[in-house]
Amino acid sequence: MSEAADEAAGAEEAAAGEMAAEEPVVVAEEVVKRYFDGGRRVLAIDGVSLEVAAGELVVLMGPSGSGKTTLLGLLGGLITPTKGDVKVAGRSVVHMRDHHRTAWRRRHVGVVFQELMLVPGMSLLENVLLPLAPLGGAGKDEVARAEALLARFGLGDERDARVRRLSGGERQRGALARALVLEPNVLLLDEPTAHVDAENAEAMLELIAEETARGRAVIASTHDPRLAEDARVSRVVRVEAGKLA
Amino acid sequence: MSEPVGGWRRQRALLDYALGSLRRRGRRNGAMVVALMVVVGVYASVLFLSESLRHEWEQTLEATPDLVVQRMVAGRPTTIEAGALEAVVPTDAPGVRRAWARTWGYLFVEAIGANLTVIGAGPGERAFARSLVGEPLPAEEGEVPFCLVGDALAERLAVRPGDRLAIPDARQETRVLEVAGVFDAASALHVADVMVVREATARELLALPAGQATDLAVELARPEEAPVVAAGIRERMPDARVIDRRALVRTYELTFDGRSGLLGALLVPCLAALFLLAWDRLTGLGDAERREIGVLKAIGWETRDVIAARLWESALVAIAGAWLGVLLAYGYVFGLGAPGLAGALFGWSALHPELALTPVIDATQAWTLVGLVVLPFVGVAVVPAWRAATLDPDEAMR
Ligand SMILES: Nc1ncnc2c1ncn2[C@@H]1O[C@H](COP(=O)(O)OP(=O)(O)OP(=O)(O)O)[C@@H](O)[C@H]1O
Ligand SMILES: [Mg+2]
Repeated sequence: MSEAADEAAGAEEAAAGEMAAEEPVVVAEEVVKRYFDGGRRVLAIDGVSLEVAAGELVVLMGPSGSGKTTLLGLLGGLITPTKGDVKVAGRSVVHMRDHHRTAWRRRHVGVVFQELMLVPGMSLLENVLLPLAPLGGAGKDEVARAEALLARFGLGDERDARVRRLSGGERQRGALARALVLEPNVLLLDEPTAHVDAENAEAMLELIAEETARGRAVIASTHDPRLAEDARVSRVVRVEAGKLA
Repeated sequence: MSEPVGGWRRQRALLDYALGSLRRRGRRNGAMVVALMVVVGVYASVLFLSESLRHEWEQTLEATPDLVVQRMVAGRPTTIEAGALEAVVPTDAPGVRRAWARTWGYLFVEAIGANLTVIGAGPGERAFARSLVGEPLPAEEGEVPFCLVGDALAERLAVRPGDRLAIPDARQETRVLEVAGVFDAASALHVADVMVVREATARELLALPAGQATDLAVELARPEEAPVVAAGIRERMPDARVIDRRALVRTYELTFDGRSGLLGALLVPCLAALFLLAWDRLTGLGDAERREIGVLKAIGWETRDVIAARLWESALVAIAGAWLGVLLAYGYVFGLGAPGLAGALFGWSALHPELALTPVIDATQAWTLVGLVVLPFVGVAVVPAWRAATLDPDEAMR
């Protein structure tokens, strides 16, 4: 792929950045996702429409298997919908060439996965810097920013620790740091409080609220009612059997 | 932050990742490096050895006249009347450019346990002396006769230019020679133990009676005419054995090409096995690796980034293994003289137990060899790298 194509994507992106001020950052329109799992067909998401604006913290509530992870993947451009459209920062991520979509995601979307997905053999800092490699790696500024992020998350002393040595709460916050290292407009969190105790869950929620206050559009899935009832949450959306209730 | 980053900076970052990944999977990659090292080492050893011997032979053949005439008595070569030259090879014989009587022979020196090849630089041998030393023997003879020795021999005798050297001649009488120069013995096998002296000195050292020569050498205007000229010589001198240089070339080609060709054939299954191993390693994507690739894709690595990182990884393994193998072979062949292999394959190491072969491999050739290993190795890695890289990013979410 040429650098010119990258540059073109960059220019469009700048234009979209201006648009994002007026429009919701994430827009899903009549999204359907059907899985084909060896002869079995699963309608995981069945016609969902949703808009999330900058500075909003939206919680997706629903039982296990209701389609929360799938919906987050669709909203972040990680999963291609069977039908419908998803716009992130003003551009449809459905009708994009693969590498453009990836570049777009890298720029606009940070994700904390349900299973965190940190690389166990790497240090925490290496994990946090991993998204920077396609951009030419981490320079001094990027390392400083990542370190500041870790310090703010109470992980300053763990920066060189192997991930497999860290506690559940530390990993959770480490994964959040990695999702934020490229300053995304959209932050997606899949069950951010599932693996931690009440104290760590509260710390996590506080960090999430801070990031929302910085103007990011934040969407978190959970089946934990305490999260749904928290005052810092802007909106709770119920997901049931692939539909918004 | 500048988004459009292509080219070198991106590759550097991916290379960094590949290095880290190699470290994290150290044992497995280490085993691969060792396997490559062994196969490349064996292959390169055979290659270096046969190339080096080929070089030795070519050097020797270059110094060999088109025809050599020996007088046979009791089926063995013996000395020849130098005065017979004109009768045996008339200077006006068709096809003959030049003919001369040679004075040379072997002198066993017990002190160093070696057979010196003593060459008398007669009028006809001046060109040969020059080809060895770059310059002919000094014109003026000092109070003791001069000699020129090859660097390997000089080292064994522990002499430097200007030194005096006392060696016993064929009758065990001590002769003193002055070392006029040391030459670079480009061809270890055949001139390493050479000592070039004036013809009269050679006669004394070798106890060669006056008027006798070791053999006759003939230079032809056109080498193709060798059989015709040889037949004429045999007619004029029935007890002659005429050695045709081109016959030597053919023998050498048969010996070397045949043997290294056979070895090459033996190595094919080895290489095949190695690449199968590599294929297995590169294709069989472990669970952890699969997950890691999923993570990379999910956090914004493009397919090409994942492919590049994996190719860097296999290139690093291949380059390390191939270079180690080449260096190992280099040390084994040129440093140690290929003990075992040389004797087993070419049968001459028993004659030259301490032979130091001249390296005939330069950096370019070594890189070529490494490239020949690395390219297919990385090539084999492309498909699994591509397959892994095209994993859906959402696979990371399961
Ligand atoms: N790749 C896939 N292939 C086949 N079926 C899938 C796939 N991913 C999800 N599903 C199915 O889609 C449905 C929704 O799954 P999803 O993971 O989105 O639910 P969830 O709400 O995140 O559940 P949980 O709370 O357990 O994480 C489930 O029935 C699941 O089995
Ligand atoms: Mg889920």
